[in-house]
Amino acid sequence: MLDELVQELKSKFPNAQVQLHNPPEGVGSSSIEITPQSLREVCFYLRDQSPLKFQVLQVISGIDYVDYLEVCYMLANFDLNRSYEMILKVKLSDRVNPSLDSVSDIWPAANWQERECYDMLGVVFKNHPDFRRILCPDDWEGFPLRKDYVAAKFYNGMQVYPDHKMNLEERSYIIHSKSQAEELQKKSLAKGL
Amino acid sequence: MIKENDKQHEHLDHHHDEEEVMEDYEVGTKPESLRSELLTLNMGPQHPATHGVLRIEIKTDSEIVAEAIPHIGYLHRCMEKHSENLDYRGIIPFVDRMDYLASISMEVGYALTVEKMLGTEVPARATFIRTLVSELQRIASHLVAFGTYALDLGAFTPFLYAFDQREKILRFFEEISGARLLYNYVWIGGVWHDITEGQIEFLRDFLDEFEKELDEYHVLVTSNSIFKDRTKDVAIIDLKTCFEYGATGPVLRGAGYRWDLRKIQPYLLYNQLEFDIPVGGDHPQVGGVVGDCLSRYYVRMCEMRESVKIIRQLIEKIPAGPIMGKVPKIIKLPKGEIYMRTECPRGELGYHLVSDGGKEPYRLKVKSPCFTHVSILPKIGPGLMIADFVAAVGSIDIVLGEVDR
Repeated sequence: MLDELVQELKSKFPNAQVQLHNPPEGVGSSSIEITPQSLREVCFYLRDQSPLKFQVLQVISGIDYVDYLEVCYMLANFDLNRSYEMILKVKLSDRVNPSLDSVSDIWPAANWQERECYDMLGVVFKNHPDFRRILCPDDWEGFPLRKDYVAAKFYNGMQVYPDHKMNLEERSYIIHSKSQAEELQKKSLAKGL
Repeated sequence: MIKENDKQHEHLDHHHDEEEVMEDYEVGTKPESLRSELLTLNMGPQHPATHGVLRIEIKTDSEIVAEAIPHIGYLHRCMEKHSENLDYRGIIPFVDRMDYLASISMEVGYALTVEKMLGTEVPARATFIRTLVSELQRIASHLVAFGTYALDLGAFTPFLYAFDQREKILRFFEEISGARLLYNYVWIGGVWHDITEGQIEFLRDFLDEFEKELDEYHVLVTSNSIFKDRTKDVAIIDLKTCFEYGATGPVLRGAGYRWDLRKIQPYLLYNQLEFDIPVGGDHPQVGGVVGDCLSRYYVRMCEMRESVKIIRQLIEKIPAGPIMGKVPKIIKLPKGEIYMRTECPRGELGYHLVSDGGKEPYRLKVKSPCFTHVSILPKIGPGLMIADFVAAVGSIDIVLGEVDR
């Protein structure tokens, strides 16, 4: 079913560079990738005209692949006889200022989902009606679900992530490097343990 | 005396001066100086009617809601970030803590997602137990929804009735898993502990008793005219709004759409079981419009009866055998991604799991039904009375642990 849809999208939107990604090892879901510029027209088409009418946007999920960011739109068709869900993907190569057109006028569900995507990954959605953080406080710094995110030690002058509360010495699973382990051994020897 | 008289006179004079001043500055005598503005009212974060730590900023025009802005995130623990640093088994307790009133349903969805990627075969007995406990969980969760909803609308007694029955389900869960709320019971490949013949006997007795109780609930609440007046024709969520905002579960079914993933895309054993999908408008004698608070409430009440039906069928033919399939000691999923959804008591729960072939998921995104439902509040809020808005929030049955994750 997805193959037909890809063929159709390819013929309708030659500029969208429609690609079908099948699961590399045979298990999991397939997905369709398009260019960020063609997102809105493809979404309009998928909602109104495609044979599988995707009336519902279930969730927007952002993924940080270190080299680039990816935004996945989970679309679902609530047809009682042939229910179907698909993953529509957009790659954002600019990691510093990622931006994308908002689809919140196509599916109002996108309003909050896009806010969450911004809150967690820092993707800016253009023409969004109410664009601000949703889960974190408004003055929070950084985007927690980025792979290079480091939790701040202070928030509004309060220490929120103190070293001594982490019990680093007692927790063996935090030790990543060999040198760290040796250091701890030395410390425990010095204590006479 | 003279001095005193003088003083009095002075005082009177002063008083007279003050009156003059007052006359100069008196507000409200001329109609053009009257003003009206919206009053901002904070509902929450600590408010019993929000079922958790939800703050809704309501702009009210006297008693009518003009604008409702939900502020969420008070229970945000960034479970999605945690799960990127945990192995696949270690995530299960974190998944529990999302919807703490329906932990089993969260676990079942997660276990099914990982198993589908892993290609694990789950033994028949384990699948039976999973179906059984998720239906029991549905009853327990709907009982909380029923009890607290009546509490929101000012009736205290139904809450005690509901928690009395829920306690029995929690006892059963405590017996099989050791915990009352956060079970960590459904594991990847099967379930943790087996259930015994005695526990099944207990369930049989419980179901007989519970069905009689359900009839009592209808006498107590559904036929109560105050309850009906408070919920009938209030906060109507029609089908179009449901699709636009992606509402699922009892909200969508309350709008009259016969959509349930247990029938549409059957998982576990649901394709072998006989049950109906109750929707709003099935029982016109109850009253109200399709999609109002009353129909969402009534759908939940009917679903409990269907769950009883399902559990009865399950315990008649539960097979013997192992409860744990063959799972490698260190779970490594193949490279790729998956999006899978299951039907929870509150709606559709979806897991988007991305694996890079390692021991931990590269990304785990949860599609939370309650998050979607809270986002409808700004749409249905305007035009309602404040008291009706409380009824609307209660009728969509949210758990903030899942909204914020």
